[in-house]
Amino acid sequence: MDIKILCLTRGGEGSYPNQDRAIAIARERGQDMMFLYISNIKFLDHTAAPKVIDIEAELDELGEFMLLMAQERACNEGVTAHILVRRGFFQKVLSEVIEGFNIETVILGSSSGGTGIITEEFLHDITCELHRKHDVEFIILQEGKIIKTYRVETGDGEYADGQPEH
Amino acid sequence: MNFLMIIKRFSPAQIVFGAAIAAVLLFTLPDVIPGEGLASDQPPPNEGDFVVIGQVKDEQGIPVAGAVVTALTLDGEHILAETECQEDGTWRIFLVEVPQEELQISIQHPRFIPMSLTFRLQELEDLDDLGLFQVGELTLNRDFNAGFYAATLIFIGVLLLIALEILHSTTAALAGMSAVFIVSYVGGLFDPGFFIFTFERGLSYINWEVIFLVMGMMIIVAIIEATGIFQWMAFQAYRLSRGRTWLLVLILIVITAVASALLDNFTTMLLMTPISLQIGLALGIHPISLIIPLILASNIGGISTLVGTPTNILIGAYANISFTDFLVNQTIGVILALIAMSAYILFHYRKEFLKKSAEISPALYQRLEQNARMEDPQNLWKAGTVFILVIIGFILGEQVHLSPAVPAMIGATALLIWLNPDVHQMIIAVDWTTLVFFMALFVVVGSIQEVGLLGLAASGMAELIGDNLPLGIFMIVFGVGTLSTVIANIPLAAAMLPIVQYLTLLIPGAESKVLFYALSMGAAMGGNGTLIGGEANLVTAGITNQTNTPITFKEFLKVGLPVTYITLAIGFLWLLYHF
Repeated sequence: MDIKILCLTRGGEGSYPNQDRAIAIARERGQDMMFLYISNIKFLDHTAAPKVIDIEAELDELGEFMLLMAQERACNEGVTAHILVRRGFFQKVLSEVIEGFNIETVILGSSSGGTGIITEEFLHDITCELHRKHDVEFIILQEGKIIKTYRVETGDGEYADGQPEH
Repeated sequence: MNFLMIIKRFSPAQIVFGAAIAAVLLFTLPDVIPGEGLASDQPPPNEGDFVVIGQVKDEQGIPVAGAVVTALTLDGEHILAETECQEDGTWRIFLVEVPQEELQISIQHPRFIPMSLTFRLQELEDLDDLGLFQVGELTLNRDFNAGFYAATLIFIGVLLLIALEILHSTTAALAGMSAVFIVSYVGGLFDPGFFIFTFERGLSYINWEVIFLVMGMMIIVAIIEATGIFQWMAFQAYRLSRGRTWLLVLILIVITAVASALLDNFTTMLLMTPISLQIGLALGIHPISLIIPLILASNIGGISTLVGTPTNILIGAYANISFTDFLVNQTIGVILALIAMSAYILFHYRKEFLKKSAEISPALYQRLEQNARMEDPQNLWKAGTVFILVIIGFILGEQVHLSPAVPAMIGATALLIWLNPDVHQMIIAVDWTTLVFFMALFVVVGSIQEVGLLGLAASGMAELIGDNLPLGIFMIVFGVGTLSTVIANIPLAAAMLPIVQYLTLLIPGAESKVLFYALSMGAAMGGNGTLIGGEANLVTAGITNQTNTPITFKEFLKVGLPVTYITLAIGFLWLLYHF
């Protein structure tokens, strides 16, 4: 498997524009891509109600379904997309996958309208750290538009309009 | 064969379950066996002794346990005898001889203003003639001292810690329990007014029937859930609806409400949310318009049975309301509330529901079918049989005053033996944090009951309501319902139980336990008011967030709040009509 582009997604309507842009990038570059879904059940930490369900397994199935939908979108555009579901902390899992698959480009999307949990600030923080650790390109999307890239050669974040990050 | 050899034949897990069954029987059998219990609380009087008896209650008529009753000579210098009030507030003092002068009885309790009574020789004639003197029922007045304020602050603190998600609910309840004992034992050293209760007294507030019923149901539900029956039903709903979104939503509402009544609302939403999200997204429907109705249905549907919501389990155990009682007295009200809720939902999301749903691709359909498959039909048959027997056990058990915890624990054990699942997995499936939460919460609520906060609230409500039962039902349904929109409904219901009990004793016609049913409806329906009103709401929002489909506070409020007051009104009218 020669996968160069990794796109982290949660699926759902809010993710469609970012998925489409990631697919477009893969098509332009003529590379295979991989959609990654990371589930995390930390949201259950504050509930006292009995958790007798294997909720992680349920979320794995949900994640796979979300990724299958993304895979279909890629297939419709003639792009080969693989899917991967992992459990755990966002940053740690992402780091493992980058290393494990020799990824060259990571595409991350922030939630549109500020309603989701993956905000631009959150992505900025983790991308800076991951960029220091892995020598790969990071592209940050919002509503299908590139808002920031972290290039391999410079190592600095750069906004889509070419302004370097201060 | 000695005891150790017998024990070695069982795995540690089997021993744990055996011990649990033994414990639940030990705790509940005294209720089943008619008579005064296994052992008498007080020694019989010795022949020739003179006995002075009485009973101590608080302003609400609730027996005061642990008050120290002392018989003194008139000058108060010589103690003739001393005793402690029992759980029912009664006390007996044995005197060696009838006092030559007057007799003084002093009653002291850290939470009450001390009382002293003097009896003249003339009044003590009975004691001389019969050897028995009845003082009768005495009412102690509360002393709102440091312990009262400390316990009140601790309880409010626990509610805030839970509501603001500063600590996990269990940690918050444990912190509250620890604070109560620190105040009692450390604060009590400096000022006796800080003393709330002893450790033993605190433990007496734990309702073990609730703990064992919840534990038994957790095991049964974990086994039934593993069969995949509810996901399969959701998929069948999708197939039956043939692309008509409004029909899909209505079928899912019915499935969710029924599942919620049989399992519990929280578990139901954990099961229904992922599959419903998949169906919604695949059909191109905004998934939130599918998920929010299910949350509302789960909170309402659970009201109709004893095991449908944690608050019903609390109410059932406290007020001795059986599985059949809940079913008979609540179900029609619940159905009416569900119909009204569905009508509002169809109106609110009419644009979304009238949209033509997208065609689902064969690959996605196949995956959906795979995710909704029944895991093991053989196990489903066995689990279903045991579950029905447990329900029958609930119903038949009522005839002999058997706690529902007993059939639940026996059913859980039967499933473990019959299905032979990985017992260690099943023990992991028992969510111990929930059980610890209940135990710690009982102690914290016990502390505010002990210091008289609940009595004070009960007196205040009684003054407002007077003899007007409809007003009482209205106040509990809407008052608790409104509070439940922002306060965690389990601590709220636990705190309301003694208040409702007091009102039940006071208001004519309330002996039908209608106020407890009002509490059940208010606590559960109120949870629909806001996103933070119920744990099922929050966990569903957590799951939808995982697919970048967040349920916002505002979006939930727009649907949940009107539905809350519509259903509360229906619940109130139903109780008014039915009782």
